[in-house]
Amino acid sequence: MKQSVVKIENLVKRYGDLIALDHFSLDIREGEIFGLLGPNGSGKTTTINCLLALLSFDKGDIEIFGKKMTPTSYEIKQEIGIIMQNVAVFDELTVYENIDYFCGLYISDREKRKQYVEEAIQFVGLDEFRKFRPKKLSGGLLRRLNIACGIAHKPKLIILDEPTVAVDPQSRNRILEGIAELNRNGATVIYTSHYMEEVEQLCTRIAIMDRGRKIAEGTTDELKRMICNTETITIEALALTDEIVKTVSELPHVYDTAYDGTKFTVFCSGGKHNLLRILGVLQEHSVSIGRVFSERPTLNDVFLEITGKALRDKGE
Amino acid sequence: MQVFKLFLKILRKKTAVALIYFAVFITLIIAMTYTNNQTAVFEQKRLNICVFDEDDTPESRALSALIAKENDIISLENDRDVLLDALYYEQADYILTVRRGYAEKLGSGSADSLFDNMYMHDSYATAYMEQYLNEYVRTVRGYLAAGKSQDEAVGAAADAVSAKTDVSIAAEESRQSALSEKAALYFRYLPYILISTLMNVMCPVLLAITRKDVRFRTNCSGLPPTRGTMQIFAGSAIFVSITWLLFAVIGCAINGSLSSSELWLALLNSSVFLLFSAALTVFVASFNPETGKINILTQIISLGMCFLCGVFVEQPLLGEKVLRAARFLPAYWYIKVTRMLDGSEVYQRNTVITAILMELGFAAVTAILTVLIRRLKYSRSGISVSA
Repeated sequence: MKQSVVKIENLVKRYGDLIALDHFSLDIREGEIFGLLGPNGSGKTTTINCLLALLSFDKGDIEIFGKKMTPTSYEIKQEIGIIMQNVAVFDELTVYENIDYFCGLYISDREKRKQYVEEAIQFVGLDEFRKFRPKKLSGGLLRRLNIACGIAHKPKLIILDEPTVAVDPQSRNRILEGIAELNRNGATVIYTSHYMEEVEQLCTRIAIMDRGRKIAEGTTDELKRMICNTETITIEALALTDEIVKTVSELPHVYDTAYDGTKFTVFCSGGKHNLLRILGVLQEHSVSIGRVFSERPTLNDVFLEITGKALRDKGE
Repeated sequence: MQVFKLFLKILRKKTAVALIYFAVFITLIIAMTYTNNQTAVFEQKRLNICVFDEDDTPESRALSALIAKENDIISLENDRDVLLDALYYEQADYILTVRRGYAEKLGSGSADSLFDNMYMHDSYATAYMEQYLNEYVRTVRGYLAAGKSQDEAVGAAADAVSAKTDVSIAAEESRQSALSEKAALYFRYLPYILISTLMNVMCPVLLAITRKDVRFRTNCSGLPPTRGTMQIFAGSAIFVSITWLLFAVIGCAINGSLSSSELWLALLNSSVFLLFSAALTVFVASFNPETGKINILTQIISLGMCFLCGVFVEQPLLGEKVLRAARFLPAYWYIKVTRMLDGSEVYQRNTVITAILMELGFAAVTAILTVLIRRLKYSRSGISVSA
């Protein structure tokens, strides 16, 4: 088993009466791209800030690279690269100077730093913009600069806090490809986002957070297996009678249905040939149908089912 | 030394702005110093008046004589073109013709058509003479109405309008100091310049470096926050020292001689005030004002303090209440020392030491307040580390 890079145990952080993190625990292994998924306000950024010792917390332990993380753990901080949600660069400096400054906080050797800065510029594709000031860059380029400033010193652990917020699709893809490449080069990555498709595409393991608590953790497949839904079938059909809907609802493995007058949605849990059975019922009743879709559950379904129905309802 | 280098790098990017401020302020201060050094003595100006007396009576001759007392009477040919030329080329300021029947009309109390006059419009000489003649005629009529004879009324009116008000301008005549008058003025205006320069140039640099998001990123690195703060302090100290050195050299150059102890005390006084200005700049920066508002804040603070404390207006001319309030500002104590050094007040060693210590105290209090505010801000946001 690979060595633990980040270990959080029973972390509690309160802002007055508000509990931002409620006995939150995590264990991230070397070489993982670990996704922290949750809606806004679920505690992702608070977790990151506690992890980096930027924020004090009320209870719990944090270990990084097997050592306790404190505000003065400078030798640990040397190995961490951080890419915050907001673009944190100096407007007064050029692209090159910005990367050089942040890299210089970790690397004192001038020659080595020069090489690292050049590599970071090439990595994020900002070569032709090296003399530009941040204000002259587009939103996507700014995000890339933000990433370059965080990874130039070649950290072993890279933390990305929603790096693709307000980024165009082209830049987003480039950023995601870049993160995957950093991981291939040996870095462990913690990636927070509320974009589920990004997390699903990128992360090897995911923790879903809600209201400061971890409500599920595992690989994408493991998470999908946790929920009831295995298949969602949508059929375009007009004038379905209540009797037809009821008949379909009573089919094996069908646990829910919805009909809005044009689209008939059937939620299935397990089983095979669900689509054939449903189409058979419609054919028996001579229902003319349009397009038919069959979808496997996404992380979105997982998240909605766990937070929107199961756990939150139980808690309330 | 990454943060130190960053400070200097950002400062260098603001060099153009800094140089503009330096140039403007140095020009301003030198202009103020050199235009404010005239000996303050009131001197009455004499106008060139040409008088044509068509009435030729004792009354009209008395008026001509009265005008001649305080002005120069010039003779010109009574030709319209000649007179207009004289006015145009400023040989004459005012041309007065006392019309025939002047004495008779004056005696009857009439003020109509007593004079004909030619003048340049909107000149102060015209305004003065019009007012002078009106006042004279009104006074004569007043005496006549009071029952005096025409001769007596003319004589009394002449005495009345000749009455003088002694004008003296407050000046430090007893001034005895080795500090030259120009250097004294230069050091007097220095608080305004020091506060303005430091706040306008250093505040934006501090704001850029301590901006929340970049500070977070810096705090995530292996650089201990204390070391980062020390590097910012070192960068600030270099800028502040260069600023002081520049203004000190100019002060010495204006004074001419380096041998006077007053000059060295003035330099010490300015360096202590500079410390306060630097502390004030960091204090203002700790509130994270918008960059665009720094200049407005600077003007409010520097002008407000300088007006209240006697930089632009001499302290003895300020009200007692104003001075009492000004004691709670460091510029008051700075000016107190400056006034003793330039001989405006009697030099008292203890007062000078007290005043300089007061300035130091203000600098220390401002620095402590800055630290407290920063700690308060961090404790409120739950931040465990700060740069």
